[in-house]
Amino acid sequence: MTPPGNVLSRPRAARGGVRTGRRLGSWGTRVLGRGLGARRSRTGMLLVTPAVAMVGLFVLFPLGFAVYISLTDWPLIGPYHFIGGQNYSLLVHDPQFIHSVLFTLLYTAIVTGPILLVGYGMAVLVRSGRFGSVFFRTAFFLPFIVGLATESFMALLELQPDSGAADYVLSKIGLAHANTAWTVDYGLALTAICVFVIWFASGLTMMLLMAGMQGIPVELYEAAEVDGASWWQKEWRVTLPLLRRNIALALIISVIGSFLAFNQFYILTEGGPGTSTQPVVMWIYEEAFVQYHLGYATAGAITLVVVIGIISAVQFFLLRDSDSGRSRGDRRPVRRPVRRPVRGTRR
Amino acid sequence: MTAAAVRAPGAGRGRDLGRTGFVLYLTGGTLAALIFLLPLAWAVLRSFMPNALVTQAPSAGDFSHLTTANYSGLIQTNDILRYAANSLAVAVGTGLLTAVIATMAGYGFARFRFRGSGLVFALVLVTMMIPFQALLTPLFLEMHSLGLTDNLIGLALFYTTFNLPFGVFVMRNTFLQIPWELSEAAAVDGASAARTLVSVLRPLVVPGIATTVLYAFLFSWTEFVGALTFITSNSLYTLPLALLNMEYGSVGQVNFGYLEAGAVIAMVPCVLLYVGLQRFYIRGLVSGVVKG
Repeated sequence: MTPPGNVLSRPRAARGGVRTGRRLGSWGTRVLGRGLGARRSRTGMLLVTPAVAMVGLFVLFPLGFAVYISLTDWPLIGPYHFIGGQNYSLLVHDPQFIHSVLFTLLYTAIVTGPILLVGYGMAVLVRSGRFGSVFFRTAFFLPFIVGLATESFMALLELQPDSGAADYVLSKIGLAHANTAWTVDYGLALTAICVFVIWFASGLTMMLLMAGMQGIPVELYEAAEVDGASWWQKEWRVTLPLLRRNIALALIISVIGSFLAFNQFYILTEGGPGTSTQPVVMWIYEEAFVQYHLGYATAGAITLVVVIGIISAVQFFLLRDSDSGRSRGDRRPVRRPVRRPVRGTRR
Repeated sequence: MTAAAVRAPGAGRGRDLGRTGFVLYLTGGTLAALIFLLPLAWAVLRSFMPNALVTQAPSAGDFSHLTTANYSGLIQTNDILRYAANSLAVAVGTGLLTAVIATMAGYGFARFRFRGSGLVFALVLVTMMIPFQALLTPLFLEMHSLGLTDNLIGLALFYTTFNLPFGVFVMRNTFLQIPWELSEAAAVDGASAARTLVSVLRPLVVPGIATTVLYAFLFSWTEFVGALTFITSNSLYTLPLALLNMEYGSVGQVNFGYLEAGAVIAMVPCVLLYVGLQRFYIRGLVSGVVKG
C-alpha cells in the first residue's frame, strides 16, 4: 500500500514519473542500443493512446465545445446564431440563476462544517486499530458507498407525512408533528436534506483524515507524552498541525461535492416548492433539457467549471506550498536533488 | 504527569485507553455505528412490509406481517430485473473497460519514456477536476451525433472516461512500486512489453486493477444525472431511472413498497462489494486521488 505520506503528492508523483521513465530509457539505450530505445518509446505511446483518446474525445473536446456553445443561442433543434457574450450578461441578471447560485452556496455553507467535524470525530474513533475499529469504520463509510441516489429514494419514503420514520421518531421526542411534510416546504426540505447529506458524506472525510492520522509518526506522540501533554494538547499541538493538508483536501473535496449537488434535490424536492431548492447543476439540467436553452445553460455550466477550477487551483496551491517547514521528510522531495539516492536504496 | 510518562511505547495515538476509556470508546462507536447503519437496515426491513403498512406510521406490530410481495410485484409489473441487468451491464462494462485502458496507460506512463509523457500524464490528471455535471450539454450533442445517446454502450463509454484519470493514476503508481529488476530481466530475456506485462507483472498489478474496477463499478452502478441525461427509452433505464419513474412517472399514488424494494436491490451489491473488497477500496483512497 502507498504510504500515507503520498496522500497529497499529486504534483510530485507527476514529476517523479517522468524521471523514473527516463531511467529505463537510458538503461535501454545503454544496454540494448538506440533501436530498442526508440521502439520502447513507440510502445509507451501506443499504450497510453486509448486513455488519451477517451479523455480527449469525452472531456477536452466537450470542454472546448461548451465554450463555443455558450457563445451561441443554441436550441436543441434548428439553427443557431453566434451571439458573443450575451448569455453571460443575461446570466448575471437572471434571478433564477442567481437564486440557484446563492442556494448552492447556502447549502454548502451549512453542510461543510458539520461534515468536517463529524468526519474528524469518527476518524479519531477509528484511527487506532483498536478492537472493533474496522467494524466502526465500515459502518461509518457505508452510506457513502451505497450512494446518494439510492438513499434519496429511501429518504423520500421516510420523509412522508404520517408514515415516514422521520416524523414518527421526531414526534415521539416532541420535535415535530407527526404530519410534517418535509419535502414540500423550503426550510424543512433544506433542513432534512442537509442532515441527510451530513449522514451520507461524513464517512468520506473520516477516511481521508484517518489516512493522514495514521501517517503521523508515533514517536511524536510519545515525545509529547514524555513532556506531559494531555490528550487535548496532543490533538491540538501534534495532530492538527500535521493534518492541515489532509483537512484542506477533505474540505475541498467536500465543497466541490456540495457545489455539484443534484441527486438529493432532484429526487426529494425536484427543486421545489417552486424552484426554491434548485441547486446550480439542476438549473443547468432544467435550462438545457427541459427549456432547451442549450446555449444559455452551457454559459451557466462554464461558470461552474471556472469556479471549480479555481477551487482546484487553490487545492494545488495549498497542498504544495503550505506549511513546508513542518513537513515530514518525504513530503516535498521534489526540489531536493538528494531524491535519487533515496530511490536507489529501494532497488 | 508521571502516569503519562510511564506509558508503554506505541501508546501514541491513544492505544492505551484504560478500562473506562475503552468502554466509552465501544459505547460511542456503537451508538455512532447505529446512526449510520440503522437507516439502511430499516430500509431493508421496510421493503419486506406490505405496501399498505409502508404508507402508515410504523408500529411494532408491523414486523409480524413481513412478506416478499414488494419484490415479486416489482419483478412482475415493473420489470425490475431488466433494469437491474441494465445497471449491471453498464457497471461491469465500465469496470472492465476502465481496467484495460487504465492498465495499459499506467504501464505506459510508469515504464516507458517517450516525448511529452509527463505533460500527457498531467493532462489526464487535470481532467479529474473537470466535473462531468457541467459538460452535459456538449456531451449530449456530441454523443447524439455519434449515435451514443439512449445507448448503454455510450453510457458505459461516458462512465469509463470519467473514471479513467483515477484509474490511470492508481495503475501508474502500481507499476512504479514493482521492482525494476523484474521487467529489466524480462527485457534481457527478450520478452516484449506485452509479454512482460502478461507473464511477469500481472500478479503484481492485480491489486491495482481490483481497486480500479471497484471504483468504476461503484461509480456507475447507480450514477444518476448522466443516465438521466443520456438515456430516454424505458427499456434502457438503469436502476435509479427506474426508481425515478416509479416516483414521478406513475399515475396516482406512488407505490412506496415497490420503491423501497427497488432501492434495496440497488443497495445490496454496493454493500457486498465494499464489505468484501474494502482493502482495495481503501488502497485507492490513500493513493492520493479521490473522487468526491
